[in-house]
Amino acid sequence: MLQYLIMCRSVTYAQKVVQTLERAGIRCRMIRSPSAISPSGCSYSVRIAQKDLSTVLTLLYRFRLPYVGIYVGSSEAGYREVEL
Amino acid sequence: MIYFDSAATTMQKPKCVSRAVAHAIDRMASSGRGDSSASLSAAEVMFQCRELAAELFGVPDPARVVFTLNATHALNIAIRSLVKPGDTVLISGYEHNAVSRPLAAIPGLHVRILDTPLFDATSFLNQLDAELEHGVDVVICTHVSNVFGYILPIEELAARCARWNVPWILDASQSAGTLPLDMTRLQAAFIAMPGHKGLYGPQGTGLLLCAGEADPLLYGGTGSLSAQQEMPDFLPDRLEAGTQNVSGVAGLLQGLQFVRQKGEGEILRHEQMLRRIMARGLFELPGVQVFAAEDDTRQTGVLSFRVVGHDCEDIGAFLSRHQVAVRTGLHCAPLAHKSADTQETGTVRVSFSVFNQTQQVGRFLALMRGYLS
Repeated sequence: MLQYLIMCRSVTYAQKVVQTLERAGIRCRMIRSPSAISPSGCSYSVRIAQKDLSTVLTLLYRFRLPYVGIYVGSSEAGYREVEL
Repeated sequence: MIYFDSAATTMQKPKCVSRAVAHAIDRMASSGRGDSSASLSAAEVMFQCRELAAELFGVPDPARVVFTLNATHALNIAIRSLVKPGDTVLISGYEHNAVSRPLAAIPGLHVRILDTPLFDATSFLNQLDAELEHGVDVVICTHVSNVFGYILPIEELAARCARWNVPWILDASQSAGTLPLDMTRLQAAFIAMPGHKGLYGPQGTGLLLCAGEADPLLYGGTGSLSAQQEMPDFLPDRLEAGTQNVSGVAGLLQGLQFVRQKGEGEILRHEQMLRRIMARGLFELPGVQVFAAEDDTRQTGVLSFRVVGHDCEDIGAFLSRHQVAVRTGLHCAPLAHKSADTQETGTVRVSFSVFNQTQQVGRFLALMRGYLS
């Protein structure tokens, strides 16, 4: 199943993203980043639904929440970075 | 036991603190190190604690709240980050060894001390003005003397440092949980505090609030950017190497919630009330010198005294035999004793928490009356 991942540089930053999205009523979940998108080693990502992507981007920008990148894909098919 | 040593650590904690510690030990793993529910719940507690601390202390970003072992650890990070060999550092005459010893370990430092009388905020500010005009690289100041409960005028100090563009570090070891602290308003580079004193968390917890860049004191795993050998350049990871004290932080979170619910002002008023009763009672005893501020608003719930012709250690031992805990000697703050001219004798210090009661002060005074008669 396709999933959108907002990759963050640490668990704390991922938690800040989760908190902001949940406060805006967006369902999301913090997970470990798949190693395919995390060449620098351990990190956490926030998984969101495709329908929420536009709102999420707006919130990330509005609250100045830093992230490493946004990826789309699945563990079976692999991931690619979403070009914004 | 009557526990009057809360300036060292608040031994009596809200019940929810020990419950949270036990729960964390039973159910939580390492924060930021996995995807299991045990790891994620640990991360959740850490984040909640950062958030609440950020809210209580006016830190704009919870990532700028760093967990440490204690205030000394936090001060060491702050000092090592800001002070460089050859710098001129200005400190108050009421600093703890947690400030003066890390400074003494930095080579080629010029440490200037604001040598001003006890409880005299005007002299303090006058001398501060003169020193800042003379040229200072960093200012480090305690909010409250751990020996005398003297509240230093840090708001005025903050304004002066801002005017002269001098970075400063606040040691909030004796004020966090009883006096208002706002990182944004104070514009301090760092604020260091213990978790186990006025915040009612467990021992082994402390907080460092960071306004800007900071250098690590410890290097190691952070659960982030694991492939690279340099420490991450972002907070809190940059300063939090190794497995964190999750159970301690779980307890600290409860302590912070307790302080928020009770209110810092209410806690301070209670401790000051006990200190006033204690001071009045001690003044009536023969040969007792009590260090009480004329301006009552300049002193917290910490009070020092000594008795002519009696060794402070003997008084402490007597009280201990009667199940009363106080602190005697120099209190790891020889500078403060030098400023108050008590370095030869030391003092007996009583310090209160929100859990102390008026009757305990009465019992203490009765014991001291008996001791001196």
